[in-house]
Amino acid sequence: MSEMANTDPEGIDGVRMTWNVWPRTKVEASKCVIPLAASISPIRHHPDIPTLPYSPLRCKTCSAILNSFSRVDFTAKIWICPFCFQRNHFPPHYAMISETNLPAELYPQYTTVQYMLPNPNVNPNNPTNEGAPSASPVFLFVLDMCMIEEEFGFVKSALKRAIGLLPDNALVGLVSFGTQAQVHELGFSDMSKAYVVRGSKEISKDQIMEQLGLGASGRRTPAGYLQQGMQNGFPNTGVTRFLLPASECEYTLNSLLDELQTDQWPVAPGNRASRCTGVALSVAAGLLGACLPGTGASIIALVSGPCTEGPGTIVSKDLSDPVRSHKDLDKDAAPYFKKAVKFYDNLAKQLVSQGHVLNLFASALDQVGVAEIKVAVERTGGLVVLSESFGHSVFKDSFKRVFEDGEQSLGLCFNGILEINCSKDVKIQGIIGPCTSLEKKGPNLADTAVGEGNTTSWKMCGLDKSTCLTVLFDLSSSERSNAPGTVNPQLYIQFLTSYQNPEGHTLLRVTTVTRRWIDSAVSSEELLQGFDQETAAVVMARITSLKMETEEGFDATRWLDRSLIRLCSKFGDYRKDDPSSFTLNPCFSLFPQFMFNLRRSQFVQVFNNSPDETAYFRMLLNRENITNAAVMIQPSLISYSFNSLPQPALLDVASIAADRILLLDSYFSMVIFHGMTIAQWRNMGYQNQPEHQAFAHLLQAPQDDAQMIIRDRFPVPRLVVCDQHGSQARFLLAKLNPSANYNNAHEMAAGSDVIFTDDVSLQVFFEHLQRLAVQS
Amino acid sequence: LDPKALPRPLDGDVEPTPLPEAYSMNCDPRYLRLTTSAIPNSQSLVSRWHLPLGAVVCPLAEAPDGEEVPVLNFVSTGIIRCRRCRTYVNPYVTFTDAGRKWRCNICSLLNDVPGEYFAHLDATGRRVDLDQRPELTKGSVEFVAPTEYMVRPPMPPLYFFLIDVSISAVRSGMIEVVAQTIKSCLDDLPGFPRTQIGFITYDSTIHFYNMKSSLVQPQMMVVSDLDDIFVPLPDDLLVNLSESRSVVEAFLDSLPSMFQDNMNVESAFGPALKAAFMVMSQLGGKLLIFQNTMPSIGFGRLKLRGDDLRVYGTDKEHALRIPEDPFYKQMAADFTKYQIGVNVYAFSDKYTDLASIGTLAKYTGGQVYYYPSFQSANHGEKLRHELARDLTRETAWEAVMRIRCGKGIRFTSYHGNFMLRSTDLLALPAVDCDKAYAMQLSLEETLLTTQTVYFQVALLYTASCGERRIRVHTAAAPVVADLGEMYRQADTGAIVSLFCRLAIEKTLSHKLEDARNSVQLRIVKALREYRNLYAVQHRLGGRMIYPESLKFLPLYGLALRKSTPLRGGYADVQLDERCAAGFTMMALPVKKMMKLLYPSLIRVDDHLLKPLAKADEFKNITRLPLTMESLDSRGLYIYDDGFRFVLWFGRMLSPDIAMTLLGPDAAAELSKVTLSERDTEMSRKLMEILKKLRESDRSYYQLCYLVRQGEQPREGFLVLTNLVEDAIGGTNG
Ligand SMILES: [Zn+2]
Ligand SMILES: [Zn+2]
Repeated sequence: MSEMANTDPEGIDGVRMTWNVWPRTKVEASKCVIPLAASISPIRHHPDIPTLPYSPLRCKTCSAILNSFSRVDFTAKIWICPFCFQRNHFPPHYAMISETNLPAELYPQYTTVQYMLPNPNVNPNNPTNEGAPSASPVFLFVLDMCMIEEEFGFVKSALKRAIGLLPDNALVGLVSFGTQAQVHELGFSDMSKAYVVRGSKEISKDQIMEQLGLGASGRRTPAGYLQQGMQNGFPNTGVTRFLLPASECEYTLNSLLDELQTDQWPVAPGNRASRCTGVALSVAAGLLGACLPGTGASIIALVSGPCTEGPGTIVSKDLSDPVRSHKDLDKDAAPYFKKAVKFYDNLAKQLVSQGHVLNLFASALDQVGVAEIKVAVERTGGLVVLSESFGHSVFKDSFKRVFEDGEQSLGLCFNGILEINCSKDVKIQGIIGPCTSLEKKGPNLADTAVGEGNTTSWKMCGLDKSTCLTVLFDLSSSERSNAPGTVNPQLYIQFLTSYQNPEGHTLLRVTTVTRRWIDSAVSSEELLQGFDQETAAVVMARITSLKMETEEGFDATRWLDRSLIRLCSKFGDYRKDDPSSFTLNPCFSLFPQFMFNLRRSQFVQVFNNSPDETAYFRMLLNRENITNAAVMIQPSLISYSFNSLPQPALLDVASIAADRILLLDSYFSMVIFHGMTIAQWRNMGYQNQPEHQAFAHLLQAPQDDAQMIIRDRFPVPRLVVCDQHGSQARFLLAKLNPSANYNNAHEMAAGSDVIFTDDVSLQVFFEHLQRLAVQS
Repeated sequence: LDPKALPRPLDGDVEPTPLPEAYSMNCDPRYLRLTTSAIPNSQSLVSRWHLPLGAVVCPLAEAPDGEEVPVLNFVSTGIIRCRRCRTYVNPYVTFTDAGRKWRCNICSLLNDVPGEYFAHLDATGRRVDLDQRPELTKGSVEFVAPTEYMVRPPMPPLYFFLIDVSISAVRSGMIEVVAQTIKSCLDDLPGFPRTQIGFITYDSTIHFYNMKSSLVQPQMMVVSDLDDIFVPLPDDLLVNLSESRSVVEAFLDSLPSMFQDNMNVESAFGPALKAAFMVMSQLGGKLLIFQNTMPSIGFGRLKLRGDDLRVYGTDKEHALRIPEDPFYKQMAADFTKYQIGVNVYAFSDKYTDLASIGTLAKYTGGQVYYYPSFQSANHGEKLRHELARDLTRETAWEAVMRIRCGKGIRFTSYHGNFMLRSTDLLALPAVDCDKAYAMQLSLEETLLTTQTVYFQVALLYTASCGERRIRVHTAAAPVVADLGEMYRQADTGAIVSLFCRLAIEKTLSHKLEDARNSVQLRIVKALREYRNLYAVQHRLGGRMIYPESLKFLPLYGLALRKSTPLRGGYADVQLDERCAAGFTMMALPVKKMMKLLYPSLIRVDDHLLKPLAKADEFKNITRLPLTMESLDSRGLYIYDDGFRFVLWFGRMLSPDIAMTLLGPDAAAELSKVTLSERDTEMSRKLMEILKKLRESDRSYYQLCYLVRQGEQPREGFLVLTNLVEDAIGGTNG
């Protein structure tokens, strides 16, 4: 079961580590099994973070930023960098500094501060941006037209609503696609006008610019005619032609959407629609690249089926040819997969170099190619939402959230760059999560790279307050120099995140954390005190997912089992070869259950899902915070009954009872499960009778709690309301520990449930673990 | 030879005198004219004739009210045709065997009369139902064709417009005139309610328009992939006009303003052409091209090649008058194959290589309209009228034409704007009343034994109403053994029309001079032959003699040498203008051709001054010889060649007249003045005269140019070079 989470386990820093005290050596670290890793939420909102209206001071040697861990010599006006021990003089404007007059960044509680920077993100082509929306948000919608009228209606109205929600200065563009891709010239006032690009062949960025008339050589202007391109201060006409302020083009866009037809090209019987998603996204990227390079901008792709035309194709048009499954991928029987991934990999590179984000909203009953497009979404820090229909609340409500401001706002930010400084012996392997390595070398690089590695700096074209990254560390392999006086008992890590916020300001978030070194050979007890089970579980899930995607023939279950056994062998209390003597320290006791559930989760048991779903789950696993990610691995279950207040229940089939309501939160879906008796009463309408008000309240409570969770979550989870023995009940049962399955059904108490599965139960799992952990 | 001594065709084209009673059922000469109505019976006669032997056919010539070609419905019985030679039943077939058989007049085969067509014969052997059988009494009839004459359902009338919107097109004002004119003609396009319409505009990119009827506004779709052009929509680029009327009108209303700020100087004409082909190829139809900028990018890109002075007068000179890039001829072949007829409207103020572009019209049965240096303020009216004529005249769609003739003779060559589908079948994707075709004839055998030769023109086409029809013109001519009779029955109009086409064709493979000389040589030879025939008996010595029928031939021959396609050398006519005139003249009907070669010149100042003269009295005004001596410097003259008017103001013309007609403009240089109606009796009268002149033939619109005696170079260019009898331009005959 999951504990009721600490209200704010991440504190002001938004950093959680697998180990909060660090072993001294690389050898010791590897014995700890669970890697040294930090999960960081680089721009998470916290009310206590001060925003400083001035520029930070940087260490002249290592360029780390002055922070509350810096030692300050107030008389000499010198600060000592905790990373490289460089002594830095304060500049003149810090002259008034004293022990009683500290700048905010030196306050011990402000380990995280934010600087407001002068705006460097002004369009470099447009230095004189008087009133120009250089920092306005930019949304280029890429709309699939191959769908049935009903779906097209849903997606159009969602689009219209979104446009209505945009701030007036937001720049908006539209690309629609089917057999071909169309770039709509919203600035053309006489009639609806679109540039049409063939869907069947790859198109380079230069060709796109050329075809849209945006190329440098594109238009020759006859002598004697004024260059008209300088309207609104933009040097090329692309912005005024294709990307217009929402306030100017809302009417045009609405009427365009009203008249926009689904793809008109006939689809032969037995065939899939011809859909050139790849070309459409190329065109969108090319358009943004031509118009607004370096300026934060989002592509919002609304896709309703697989790409079947041109680059990025994931399946043939023939309907008898199914979209690739995990089995196909496993057997290398997915002929389109690698080529498509390669295509999106290149697209990702282009988008990152331009600083633009790809967001993907896929709504379809079949797969659309999320598995292939994933690379471009994740590397650019884009959002992804997968749903069954554009009419479904999972899409509708999520989509709305992207554009809303205020409380519910996602707070989409752009042009993020993360830099990490750390103490000398700390090495960075890489990051798992929505970012791209900038390949910036430095002394803190580890020998081996994991995820986005080989760098101390990463690009996040798009990020928001919930964006989370996992930084994997290693330790220096060289023996620690033991020169007296230089041994520092603390290590330091500084995370610097610069980004452009929704209002267009450039901010720099500086988080400096410190942890204690410890000689684990001496005391594993002390190490264990610093173990964060939840974070460790999530990090293990992320690493497992990455390995499954990148390592050929990787056996996840076996790897997890072996890691867990090694961990238990190292940190468990037992007598050798006596399983019954095995006990676990409380700092550690929940971890095996996390691993049990991870083994059974969608992240490891991928064959129960499509590659698109797997990709989707993994992208969210990687970008959500630890608490939410933990729920994905191990759902939370709350029980509602007359006898007690709502309380956490064991994630076990035994928690089902006829007179209970259960609320399961598995992150992607919420299940409200009515026990048999409850369902009967409800069907008889007791809740409507004044004498049964308590029952009405009991029915309502899980609904309210579910809505509270749904409101804060992006993507909006699917809500399933079901009754015991109803067909939808499988959504709950799939997540429960099969303590009662058909192998032991005879032992069951009446009124409970049986899960038809061969999966081992948690108890059996534990017994095996104990036996193996104590083996000598 | 003094041209001034020659008889002058001051009454214009004269149709040949009718043949005797036996040939009274021949079709009207407006449809078919033979160069001589006496067919030689032997090769030796042919070789002494020297003039072309052949015919000029204008299958859809406009008929005056009451003389329309009757339309006969044979759908139920099937059309009666000769089993062997496929001749259509006509007034010259004979019925025998009590009406059960009929003999083909062309091949003499005895055919069965089908049961449904049977009628008894009277005592004289004539069918009793003859008065109800126009096909047996009239030289021209039209059969409604049953389904075996169709390879697909008859196509709807279809007009597709390909419009240049590059900067020069915009600045010329052409787009606005075109848009307004098309809009004003929408009610009069043939074929309501089946008429289809579509548009593409282009500059360096191709713009398609979705005109789906449910739209409020058209949707513009730009395709810029010029190397691999494609169609952006499967349907709705071509729409039913009545269903999408409001969208079409909305488009035409926006078209001029849409591009008013266009800065694009390029022309992706070739790719645009391919795009139009892709859209039209399903149905076929008429493609109207409005072209202003020389094709500069993509397929069919053209070069400034007309500037090389060095090739003039050499063996390579003709190459400038034929297309350089095979692209255009190939496109034309594709268009014809898919029943697309192309008309080219060209407007450029610079060289645009009409030799290449005009090929599109030439091989698709279309025509070239050329408005050099078009400016809407000056030339708008001409374009308006000619485009309207093009859009509203009755048009025959997806047509083929064949001319059959009796045993022993054979048509050997065809001349005009079309493509030959087989040896004798002319493919005409779209054809109308303003198009004529010429063909030459030869004897297959050394001696013709028959008394009469028959000709039958059959045009199979789809009428705008959707009916598949066959228009059949039949004519008979006597076979003669006497050369003199051949000359006496000669038709100067047909001869000159054929000569003209032959000469223009010759300019495509030879020097201009060679082309001119070849015509002259044949005329001289013919006249010499005639003289030899009669000189002895008439003792005429060295004097020139000619038969009455050919009395204007020398002068027309002279005029032909001075016509735009043949005149002078490099400097005398701009290359594009020469080519355009060539394309135009290749399609002209006889009357129009004669008028162009020997235009009318009339003096109008006296007439305008007559107080009570009615405008129509000007008909009595005599035409004047085209010579300087005709121009009195006290007079006001109208020169009319059917394509333009020149109003010539004599230097000594009463200033009152000029003032009354032109107002204060009378003092200005007349090249800067446009004639418009003023509030004076005299001005109204003049305008009325011009109107009447225009009404006599609506196929082209005569724009009125003003010139004052002595105002050079305009006078020289407009009037003096066209005084065909004078020795100007080094072309004295
Ligand atoms: Zn430092
Ligand atoms: Zn016959």
